[in-house]
Amino acid sequence: MKRSLQYLFKLLQAVVLVTLFSCVDTDERPNTPTGNFEALWHILDEHYCFFDYKQHEYGLDWNDVYNKYKVRVSDKMTEGQLFEVLTDMLSELRDGHVNLSYSMDYGRYWAWHEAYPQNYSDTLERRYMGTDYKISAGINYRVLDDNIGYLRYGSFSLPVGEGNLDDVLIYFALCRGLIIDIRNNGGGDLTTAERLAGRFVQEKTLVGYMQHKTGTGHSDFSAMEPCYLEPSSNVRWHKPVCVLTNRSVYSAANAFAAWMGTLPNVTLVGDHTGGGSGLPMSSSLPIGWSVRFSACPMYDAQRQQTEFGIPADVPAALTDEATAQGIDPIIETARKLLTE
Amino acid sequence: MKNKLLSILLLLPCVTLFAQQNDSLAAKPCPNDMSLKVITRSHMLGIGGTKVLDTYLSDEHFSGIGFSFLATVERQRPTRRWSTLMEHEANFSFVKDRVRSKQELEGAYNFYWGKFYAWHLFDRRLKLQAGGLVNVSAGFIYNTANSNNPAQARLHLNLMPTGIATYHFQLFRRPVAARYELALPLAGIMFSPNYGQSYYEIFSRGNYDHNIVPTTFVSAPEWRHMLTLDAQLSSRLTLRVGYLGNMQQHKVNGLRQHVYTHRLLIGLTKRFSIIPHAL
Repeated sequence: MKRSLQYLFKLLQAVVLVTLFSCVDTDERPNTPTGNFEALWHILDEHYCFFDYKQHEYGLDWNDVYNKYKVRVSDKMTEGQLFEVLTDMLSELRDGHVNLSYSMDYGRYWAWHEAYPQNYSDTLERRYMGTDYKISAGINYRVLDDNIGYLRYGSFSLPVGEGNLDDVLIYFALCRGLIIDIRNNGGGDLTTAERLAGRFVQEKTLVGYMQHKTGTGHSDFSAMEPCYLEPSSNVRWHKPVCVLTNRSVYSAANAFAAWMGTLPNVTLVGDHTGGGSGLPMSSSLPIGWSVRFSACPMYDAQRQQTEFGIPADVPAALTDEATAQGIDPIIETARKLLTE
Repeated sequence: MKNKLLSILLLLPCVTLFAQQNDSLAAKPCPNDMSLKVITRSHMLGIGGTKVLDTYLSDEHFSGIGFSFLATVERQRPTRRWSTLMEHEANFSFVKDRVRSKQELEGAYNFYWGKFYAWHLFDRRLKLQAGGLVNVSAGFIYNTANSNNPAQARLHLNLMPTGIATYHFQLFRRPVAARYELALPLAGIMFSPNYGQSYYEIFSRGNYDHNIVPTTFVSAPEWRHMLTLDAQLSSRLTLRVGYLGNMQQHKVNGLRQHVYTHRLLIGLTKRFSIIPHAL
């Protein structure tokens, strides 16, 4: 009994000592240009998820990036100059999900679509849609002359409900096929993309994998967890589908294209997608600027990266001649595929 | 001002020498009724500073103002040494980063329940209690600027060895009770996303990865202390003022979090008895 009490007393002593002198904290970097540079470099170094992949793809070395940009930072810089240097440093990652923002500007890397033809014309879209198209939540839709359903979803940031999807698919019930135009869809909510994709699978289907970081090391990742598409219990589409893509299909829209591409009755038509397969997270710098970065990589069903996009099954592109005639070759290619 | 405060502090022990025997705030045994149950119930509101760090949301430290509500209920039979303590603590804070650019909102509800063994010393003027509290906590930290990691859920269950000292004395011929409560961590269990894991993976995909984490006083050195002064206003009502400091912190899954709340409290305490009636 006496010995037990002694042990208890020693345990309490240890608890008191450890607790009262423990402080779960981090060292704050100073709010100077150098401090902000260090903070940004370390946030990316510890959280960004594509270092290994991008070193393999184009030789990215984050330590070299540090040395290259460190010499461009001085504590006498203005905020604007610092923002420019930091944005340049982030551009080395070639990632549309990596952004630096403050009240005056939005630092970005958009070469994944700015360096390529747009392959989309809103003038042509208006010509195909006319003025009597229907709108259901974030979806614009109509039946084209050859009895092909045309569904335009410009952003997965615009939510759509199960009831909306039921109404749209019932409206298309007598159509021969369906075109889902997600060109210029820069992403949004992954669950919205899943809700739409669930209308086109007839059984639980493996469509990809997902990981997350488990530590600060560049290779510290969890196991690849499979991502399945579950068939919707509401109205489902069984006929052929064409999904129209271009270089501005990014993030959740890129994931949607990758998922749909695995389904047997779906064809991707148009241009290569833009990519953006890392689910982004955010943090902030001592100066108060927001930083966004890819944190959780997603892969296709063959465990391959889709960070730099996926190719279309049937490539097609807009031409000046076709545009002048009011024809969208990407839509026409899809119509041809669906009517054959 | 400093000298005045120092004088009051130095005078406190002297004043207590003249503490009267019939101190109405002191717990008196009731030998005639073994089943008498004395309940001390208090409700307090608090205001004070809050400091927040959560590396899942940002590496920056946030600080600001917070508000708390604290309700305590202590049940004791005067003839027994064991008592039961229950505390409900709710708090809400608005905090900003050092350049006042980013904002976080923090809220939590803590429930404490515990049993205590009492010793009475110095002619019952000093009561020492030792025991343990079970703490269940649920809360959140919401960062108004973040995209896919806008919030952090806080859920934990803690076992906390706790000590309480209550001293009864007279100040300006009025009975006063000073009470100090210190709760330390021992072990527990908590929820946490993994280092870079998104809530989308956990809740939409059902991908769990070390999300229920056992904690000890090393990985979660959380502690809480409260100092209160009770001054009797009437035979039924007592004014209670005090300070509550709650240091909740942990480092699990490579993530660090602390929420330090400091509150000045004011409220009322009511002490009453339940006497069972024979049928």
